Amino acid sequence: MNGAHDLGGMDGFGPIAPEANEPVFHAEWERRIFALTLAMGAHGAWNIDMSRHARERVDPGEYLRASYYEHWLHGLETLLVESGLVAADELAACYAAAPGNAAAPGNAAEDEG
Amino acid sequence: MPVLKAENVLAVLRKGDSARVDADAAPKFRPGARVRVRNLNPKGHTRAPRYIRNKVGTIARDHGVFVFPNTHAHGQGTRPQHVYSVRFEGRDVWGDDAPAGEAIYMDLWDDYLEPA
Amino acid sequence: MPMSEHDHHTPPSDLALRVKALESLLVEKGLVDPAALDILIDTYEHKVGPRNGAMVVARAWSDPAYKARLMEDGAAAIGELGFTGRQGADIVVVENTERVHNMVVCTLCSCYPWPVLGLPPVWYKSAPYRARAVREPRAVLAEFGVTLADGVEVRVWDSTSEVRYLVLPRRPAGTESLSEDELADLVTRDSMIGTGLALTPGAKREPTP
Repeated sequence: MNGAHDLGGMDGFGPIAPEANEPVFHAEWERRIFALTLAMGAHGAWNIDMSRHARERVDPGEYLRASYYEHWLHGLETLLVESGLVAADELAACYAAAPGNAAAPGNAAEDEG
Repeated sequence: MPVLKAENVLAVLRKGDSARVDADAAPKFRPGARVRVRNLNPKGHTRAPRYIRNKVGTIARDHGVFVFPNTHAHGQGTRPQHVYSVRFEGRDVWGDDAPAGEAIYMDLWDDYLEPA
Repeated sequence: MPMSEHDHHTPPSDLALRVKALESLLVEKGLVDPAALDILIDTYEHKVGPRNGAMVVARAWSDPAYKARLMEDGAAAIGELGFTGRQGADIVVVENTERVHNMVVCTLCSCYPWPVLGLPPVWYKSAPYRARAVREPRAVLAEFGVTLADGVEVRVWDSTSEVRYLVLPRRPAGTESLSEDELADLVTRDSMIGTGLALTPGAKREPTP
């Protein structure tokens, strides 16, 4: 697909700005999504080409905004639901119930109609 | 459905994830051949970036036979075929204003290429 | 259009909660073994890294027969040193010379030779490098402090297939008497991607981890 991931030759990005002595992971959640993705891949419910395509299909604006491991999270969510390993409403419910989620029932200031 | 258990992790990692296929597919091209990247714009998965489509290059190396991502990503089979390292001159990709002495080498599948 | 407003613009502070919730769900459903997750993380955070590649390069500099095998079949020769696994089944080594400088990128995602370099740095996976490496390699090299002599050809390898590329940097002058271990200390991660050169002996820095 002619997606936002297809970046070769695109103009307008600034300096590369490498971080000196960069850690492998910048946050605990990055470690976990890395490992979850590899572990779930072992089920054989999808292949590496499917996993790349799942990451590519995120909204283009979101692709360019998101950090690298956010792409992995988006991708894993898509793969879990499309493969049937997790139902879409199961995933939505799990996130909605997560503590601190502003959109969880009871957490929002008012419900949208 | 096999759950990855802790005691199997290292063995699974060591085994790796080769995409090479032991199949007798004949190559369409030989090293040295001039090829053009076909103007394919699939809605699905492809590994031919936009910037290389319609560009002409030279087969530098035949890597052998591999899984084809365009079909594999959509559950349509492995469609094994040759993958080549193709050399493109920078000016042929970006135009005459590009500096001399720059080349791009890209891995491309038989299905992405036609004779130039 | 995205299906839900959560999916479209998840504020970064929610990511930790989201991943935690996802992990709990997958563990609850018996789809992941938490102990396996810890080993996966430990392997790529601590056990696999660019020191592996540095040792391959040092061996190639020291042993012409090894170098010949490395150039003939990268993954096999790298495997002789025990470095195998994910994203490294097929490795092609590209050699820097007086006339040619090589740089590796994956414009489409982040393909990288994990068994010899570990996981890629953020800059390698980000838009500026992916967009510019194929378009203006010399400008990119200049940002990394690398200036090539006139007449040197820059070859940018866009890793579009499962073949992974490793740059064999040029051996610095004045290193004839160094051991393989000391040579490996000169081989930086960036020199094996092609955005750097190997260090000259006496340059003060930490050895490649």
